Formats: sequence, structure tokens, C-alpha cells
Amino acid sequence: MDPLSWGEIIARVMAQLTPVWIALVLLFVVSILFKRRLGLYGKLFDSMIGMIGFALVMFWVFTGLFGAMGLIVTHDSLAQIASMKNKVPGTAILGVEEGIYPYYLLGGDNLGRDVFSRMVDGAWVVMQIAPLATVFAFMVGITLGLPAGYYGGRLDTGLSFLANLILAFPVILLFYLLVTPEIIATGIPNYMATFLFIFPLVFAAVLLNSRYHTRPSLRTPLLIGVLGVLGWLYLSLVSEVGSKVHILPGFADLFDVPSGILVVFVSVVFVNSPTVFRIVRGLTMDIKTRDYVAAAATRGEGPWYIMLWEILPNARGPLIVDFCLRIGYTTILLGTLGFFGLGLPPESPDWGTTINDGRRLLRIYLHPALVPAFSLLSLVLGLNLLADGLREESLRD
Amino acid sequence: MADTYDGPILEIDRLSISFFTRLREIPAVMDFSVAVQPGEAVGLVGESGCGKSTVALGVMQDLGKNGRIVGGSIKFKGRDLGAMSADELRQIRGSEIAMIYQEPMASLNPAMKIGRQLMEVPMIHRGSSEKEAYDRALQVVTDVKLPDPKRILDSYPHQLSGGQQQRIVIAMALMAEPSLLILDEPTTALDVTVEAAVVELVKDLGKKYGTSMLFISHNLGLVLETCDRLCVMYSGEAVERGSIADVFDEMQHPYTQALFRSIPLPGADKNARPLRAIPGNFPLPHERPQGCNFGPRCDYFEAGRCDVGDIPMAQVPGNDRHATRCVKFQEIDWKAPMALEATKEKGEPGKVVLRMDNLKKYYEVAANALFGSSGETKVVKANETLSFEARESETLAIVGESGCGKSTFAKVLMGLETATEGEILLDNKPIQSTAIEDRDTKTISDIQMVFQNPFDTLNPSMTVGRQIMRALEIFGIGDSEDARRKRMLELLDLVKLPRAFADRMPRQLSGGQKQRVGIARAFAGDARIVVADEPVSALDVSVQAAVTDLLMEIQREHKTTLLFISHDLSIVRYLSDRVMVMYLGHVVELGTTDQVFAPPYHPYTEALLSAVPIADTSVEKTHIVLEGDIPSAMNPPSGCPFQTRCRWKDRVPGGLCESEVPAQKTLADGHQIKCHLSDAVLAEMDAVIKVAAE
Repeated sequence: MDPLSWGEIIARVMAQLTPVWIALVLLFVVSILFKRRLGLYGKLFDSMIGMIGFALVMFWVFTGLFGAMGLIVTHDSLAQIASMKNKVPGTAILGVEEGIYPYYLLGGDNLGRDVFSRMVDGAWVVMQIAPLATVFAFMVGITLGLPAGYYGGRLDTGLSFLANLILAFPVILLFYLLVTPEIIATGIPNYMATFLFIFPLVFAAVLLNSRYHTRPSLRTPLLIGVLGVLGWLYLSLVSEVGSKVHILPGFADLFDVPSGILVVFVSVVFVNSPTVFRIVRGLTMDIKTRDYVAAAATRGEGPWYIMLWEILPNARGPLIVDFCLRIGYTTILLGTLGFFGLGLPPESPDWGTTINDGRRLLRIYLHPALVPAFSLLSLVLGLNLLADGLREESLRD
Repeated sequence: MADTYDGPILEIDRLSISFFTRLREIPAVMDFSVAVQPGEAVGLVGESGCGKSTVALGVMQDLGKNGRIVGGSIKFKGRDLGAMSADELRQIRGSEIAMIYQEPMASLNPAMKIGRQLMEVPMIHRGSSEKEAYDRALQVVTDVKLPDPKRILDSYPHQLSGGQQQRIVIAMALMAEPSLLILDEPTTALDVTVEAAVVELVKDLGKKYGTSMLFISHNLGLVLETCDRLCVMYSGEAVERGSIADVFDEMQHPYTQALFRSIPLPGADKNARPLRAIPGNFPLPHERPQGCNFGPRCDYFEAGRCDVGDIPMAQVPGNDRHATRCVKFQEIDWKAPMALEATKEKGEPGKVVLRMDNLKKYYEVAANALFGSSGETKVVKANETLSFEARESETLAIVGESGCGKSTFAKVLMGLETATEGEILLDNKPIQSTAIEDRDTKTISDIQMVFQNPFDTLNPSMTVGRQIMRALEIFGIGDSEDARRKRMLELLDLVKLPRAFADRMPRQLSGGQKQRVGIARAFAGDARIVVADEPVSALDVSVQAAVTDLLMEIQREHKTTLLFISHDLSIVRYLSDRVMVMYLGHVVELGTTDQVFAPPYHPYTEALLSAVPIADTSVEKTHIVLEGDIPSAMNPPSGCPFQTRCRWKDRVPGGLCESEVPAQKTLADGHQIKCHLSDAVLAEMDAVIKVAAE
């Protein structure tokens, strides 16, 4: 068979992405129709920048999602076909069997794997890790930033110093340290995970307790339920048979997180939370001077109710914008980790690893590195534009 | 060209300005005309949202990207500002037209020394040399009566007080000797005594330099003191225009009349002349009614005449340049006295509920912020020996300017801070050293507070109903969600808000409505003592009356003790039974309202009274301008706290004022004063406010 022309490649890629286009069009039509009723999200559709950003982000979200469901990928992203090593985009597979896609749409890499499928699967890796890790970083930052800003004084000085200390530490060196076998053997990453991942639990418990403590009949079952579920998830996440932190017996462990991924999570949360901490602290210091905070204090509300229900909801604007930006940073960080081969398995289709693989033959074969690099760029650009749009729209009315 | 021109300095003709949002065009100013003659000061009065600041921005041609002039013209010295290029406008702004804004700190560059900022003006506009510019700056700073001009020129904005900063802003505006000065609420952010001094200054300088002024304010009293003519605006339109005397004494528009009736005048009796709120709400720009904008709220409304077609400005015959936008102005009997509503019986003060005994609150402040624990500490005496008692269903007003310690006192009473010394007795139970977290629910719900800023008093991300229900929850009222919801709706009834507001977000409410929700929340636990911290000072005058009346009505029903913190003596006189005047943490005068508002005064009370702008041409005031600013509580003057600004100081022999804090002395039954002046001197004092005999 002849190799495909560029026009044919584009057409086939587009066709392969059909579910993504359908989902995108549906999302946009519905959102624009109801934009007046959707609050800040709806306002996003008044800003061109915001819409472009949102479209880019959602493109990758849908690509990752449908890719994981097997709707888009043409080949197994780990399968190697020896004859396809370093083949240019659109090359046909020789002696193809029935039922296998006859082309490598975006070429093959140095091991003969399909670049297109790896790009799609790489998107799924990002979608799994980046938002969740950012959520964890926010939980840590918020839970520590609120009291630091609200109480001030020594607590603030201590926590801020700690945050500065972490921010001053060279990130890459930190990552290298965390994946060193000797360090893993001491269990430091596991202990760090145990410490960092408890924050969402603390957050949820304080949030609900401060709100409902006047109504024990509602509060107690609610807390038991929520903390039970979260606690089990937490234990499943941090506890692992054979590692230093081994609390749950194997049968009760809901899922196992590969230790590499756990390290990635830990590092991303660790380096992102100080920045979130500082933002939350600053916002808290500003908002705590408002009269409604004084009003809450004069009716005898506890400090945590004031922080979580009076201050935090009113700091949401800047936090949402920062959340978008921070997913972008996390994506880049993931790329960096992959590029250095830290944490993720060496075969992983994530973009960082793929770029690193492609780098070696970059002078001769551009495409294996270019495709993931461009994917990374477009997703982060989309997130930044989205954050810009949100900021702009939240300021207007 | 400019020198030979002798027409009006500013001529605004049928100006219309609209803002364009993504939903619709919002007309902010419609068919607005005004002329400012050379050397004349014209006041622009109206409530917030009436478009008065938009007019000023229109004159400066600085409407932002959403705003546009959609009709009419603005002529400055005969030249159309709308037709000028950006370059020509830049030449005029700052040199021929200068503007003074409300917030002085925001108008000064914090990173530049005052002198530099002032010198920029002539250096840019006239190409003066550095030396000339400096001399000019020095002269202007002397003109605005700032002490030690050389030192001022060499300091940064943050080193000056608010009053001094505003003087610098005025100086900067005068640097280029503009022909027109636009003042947009120049004194709203300042204390009354400082305001009085700044207003005096603006008046003098206007005369000295012959500058024309456009004075924008919501305060009719201020306009009376500063302006020659005024223009009343309502909902984007000028409704009445004329000389001060014509408009104040022969008003020809129902809105102007309603506005005057809603402000308390210190000269009048509260029973003979009760406050009257304007019914209804200010219309939103896109919901303006047909015909007369004021129609739906007007007492003289006549269907078929007032609600059809546009209503033009009509000249009032017999008066000079006096015009009104009312079709019925010649039929209305303007002299008719206002219909008296049934005089409400005032509740008699009952037993003593709250007693303060020698309450002191000191703060320790580290002199060195960076290494706090090691350096020496300074003591800020926020409250010095506060003693008074408050009875059931009594209104006690606490009067004083910023920094006088009234907010600290409120904090100690609420339990947000604990007292350093002395006692607070609630029902003879000491609570001064129980912080709020240790107080029982009953004590907390008994003492509640209404806050000053309506835009800040409600949590913006929670519905109104939820916020009131939360207060009920905390106070342990109602045993189920339904019971609390029912009680919350009753509270909304109490503050006269529609029940549908329960599901609204605070941003959907107007300032007055928010303040009502704040009151409902304070009364959620049947509070017996309510501390109202300037509850109406941030509201428009027409709304102020309604909220004040609401507070008093609830007080009558619930026999509440109201501690009314305010700097507005007109409203204090109107509603309070007793008045306590504070200065730098000291109670300088305490007595019934009549005792405090009549001589003999404490010298500070006297100055405060004279500083209140009164919107009544028949009132004569003694002008007392206090020198300097309020001293810092960190570094109070020795002896009497007021001695640095007191004009009676030389009447006390032996420099006693500088060496000793005066003792509290009782003048008449229940009238206490903290002053060294002898009884004979006190007896010489004249009344500050005199109502001219008619």
C-alpha cells in the first residue's frame, strides 16, 4: 500500500477523533444556549479567549476520555511493530492483518510504536494525574493557608517560613531524591503521602462539623458517612502491601497505586501546595477584615466556620483562576518528570517520556518528539487562556 | 484665546451618556444641561446612581471603553470637548480642568515624594524649570494651609494623614491654576471636623484664584456651604436647577422637597418635623418608568399627565435661571406643611441593663515590628475610664471621629476583645473579661451589632434567608429547619422586606435592603442591646430616613437598648435620648441630648457641632475650624487630650490643660463634662447653631 498524503492523514486523524468533535459541539451548543443561567461558567462563553481556551482544554479531556474507552486509538500504545521503526506519518503497515488499522497515522517511534495512539493515551495519563494532584495541592494549601491568614502571628510566621523553605528547594533535585531507591527504602515518599493526603479528610471533617455542629442529629451520621468513605479511599491510596506504610490488609485495599505514580503525586502536591498556601493566606488576610466576618464573630461562630464558610467561598474567584493555571503547571511538571524518567514507568505513553524518547533521534526524525510536544503546548496554552477568560469575565458584569 | 473668552466656562447642553454592556445599552445621563459661569461654584446633588459622577467623567472625556456620549455637547470655554483630539484633551486636562476625587490616597502616587508629584504639573504643562516648579509647589502647599511646607514636599503620601493628603490633592489640582475644578465628593472619606476645614479651604481658594467649580456631593448641607448654584439630579436627569437660595427656600420639584424632608435638621424638633423617607426604590437605569422618573415615588403623581411622554425642563417664572422638570410645579402648594403622621409614643427608659464602670482598654504595640518580642512596647490607650449606664428602650448615642475609640469600645462590649481594667455589667453580671467563645448563647444573642457598610455586612455567597437562619441556628432558636425558616420569614416581615427576598443573593439587594437584612440578623436572637455602628452613614439620604425609622420602631416594640455610634450629629440629635462624646479614648461629654446640644459645651462638642453641614438656609452657625489633625492614640498629647486643638485653652490659667487630664465634673443632673474650664467661662459659651427667627 502507498503511504498517505498529508491531506489524507489530516482527514483520517479528524475522522478518528469524531467522538471528540461530537462531544465538543454538544457541550458548546448546550452551554451557549443556557449561558445566562450558568453563572461564571456561562459568562465564559462571552469571551473569545475563554472559549478558545475552554475548547482546547475540553478537546484534550475528551480525547483522553474516549481514548481510554478505546474509541480513538488505532493501535495499542505499547505494541511494537518492528518494521514501523521511525517511519514517517502516514506510513502503511506491511502485511497487515484483518482488523488492524492499516496505517500509523502520525508515524512510528524508535521502537516502532504508533505515535498517534501514544499521544491519545498520553492525554489520558495527564487527565488522570494533573487535576487530581492539583486538587490535593489545593486541599493542603487551603487547610493551612486559611488559619495562617486568619490567626496571623506565630502560626503564620512558622507556616510561611516552611512554605518559603519548600519553594526555595530545587524542584528537580527534590524529584531525583524522592525516586532514589535508598530514599524509597526508608519509606519517606510513603510517609509524605500519608501526611499530604490526609488533608482532604481534615478539610471535609472541619467543613462539615463547623457548619452542622449545632444540629448533632444531622452532623453525626453525615460525618461518619463522609469520613468513612473518604477514610477508606485514603487508606487504600496510602497503604500498600509490602511498603513501609501498610495499614490495611490486602483484601480491604480498594486499589493499588504503583509506587512510581505515588511519588509523582507526592512531588506535585509537595511543590504546588506552598504557592496555593500563599495565595489563600493573602486572600484570607484581605477578606477577614470584612464586616460579615465580624458579624459571624459577634454571633459566636467558631473560627473554622468563619474560615471555611464565610471567607473561603468569597475567595473562590481568584482560586478558580489559579486552579486552571496550576493544572497547566502540573501538566508541565508531569512532562518534566517524564522527560527525566522519574516516577512513571519507562514505557509509559505520557508526553514527557515520549518527548524524551524522541529526543535522541530528533535530528533525523522529528515527528516522535514533535507530536507530544505540540500536545503539551496546546493543553497548557488552553488552560492559560481559560484562566485568562475566567479572570476577565469574573471582573466584568 | 482663552483670556478673551467671556462666556460660561463650562456649558453642558442636553448631554446624554450611555454605557454599553453585553446585555443592553444603559443610559446613565439623559438630557442634562448645566452652565458654570466664571468664578461660580455649581453643586451637583443626588443619590448614588443618579449619574452625577458620570457627568464629571463626561466632562473629562474619560468614560472608559463602555461609556459613550450619545447626544448633546460639552463646551469648555466655547470649545466642544467631544470634538477634540486626544492630544488637545491632554493639554486641557490637569491644566485647564482639574479634578479632585473622593479617595485622596488613591489619587497620589505612593512611590513618589509629594514635592515631585506637585512639580510634575507645571513641568509637563508649561515646561517650567525645576526651580520655578519647586517655588510654585511651595507656594501652593502654603496656600492649602499645611504646616511646614518644606517638610511636606519632602515626604511620601503615606506619611500624611487623610486630611493632609486631601489638601495635597487640592494643591495639585491648583498647581496649574485651572479655570475649572471638578470636585467629586472630596470630603466623603474624611472626618467631620477635617471635612469642615477642607470645605473652608476650598471656598477660600475658589475666591482667591477665581476658579469655577463643579462640586459633586450627596450632602445638601455641604453644597449649601460651598456653592452659588445647584443642580439636583435624579435617575440620570437634572430635576431642578437654580441658585442656592431659590432651590433651598422655594423648591419647585417634588424630589427636591422629598429629599429635604428625609434629612434631619438639627434646628428642628423631631416631633414637629419627623423624618419622611421617600417611598419605594430608586429605579434601575433599564427599568425607568414612562414619563417622569420620579413619578412612582411622588406624592403629587397624577396618572395621565406624569406618566406620558418626556418631561422638559421648565423655567420657574420670577426667579433667575431657576428651572424644574415637573409638569405640575405651578399647581403644587409648596408651602403646605407636611402631613403629620400620628406622633409615635416614645418608650420610657426602663431599668438599667448595661453598666460600664471605669472601663479601660489598652493595646500593647511592638515598637519594632520585625523583632517584636525584643524591642520596647508602646501602649495605645484606646479607651480611658469609660463609665456610663444604658437603660432598657433607651438610645444612647456615641459620637466621635475616627480614632476616638468607639469601635474598640464596641469590640470589648461584644467580647471580641477583653477589657484591660474596669467592669462591664450586663444585668449586674460582669462580662468584661469573658471573650466571645466563652460567653453563653444567651449573652451573645442579647448583645448584637448592626454594621456600617451595607455592601460588606452580608456574606456575598450565601442567600439572605440562609444567613438569617444561620444566626437562628447559632442562637439555638427553633428545633427544626422548618421552624427556623418560619421564624426567618417573620424576621423579614419585621424589617419590612418581602418574603421572596429569602432566596435572593445579597448582590441582588440595594444598600438599604441589605442593611435591613443586617438588622433582621441582629434581632434574630431577640437582642436586648444592639450596637449600631454608623448603620446609615453609607446609605443615601432618602434610604437613611427609612432605615433609621425602622430601627426606632423595632426598638419601641422590643424595648431594645440601642447604642448608636455615629459621627453625624444631625441624626444623633434626631433619635437619641442621651449622647456621649468621645475624643481619643476619653468621654469628654455625657448628657441628655438637650444638654449636649445646648451650651455650655465641651470645646470639642462645640467644634463638632459647628462642623456639621446643615441644609437649611435659616440656620446660622458659628464657624469653628479646628487646627491640625486628631493626634495619634499611640502618642497622645500630655494633659487634656483635646488641648492641642482647643480654642478655649488660654482661658484656663496656669497651663493646666497641658499638664493634667481634667477630672469628670457634673454640670447639671446627668450632664458630665471633662474640661478644666471654670463654670464662669462655660456659662459664657454661645449656642453654635441658631435658627434665625422667621
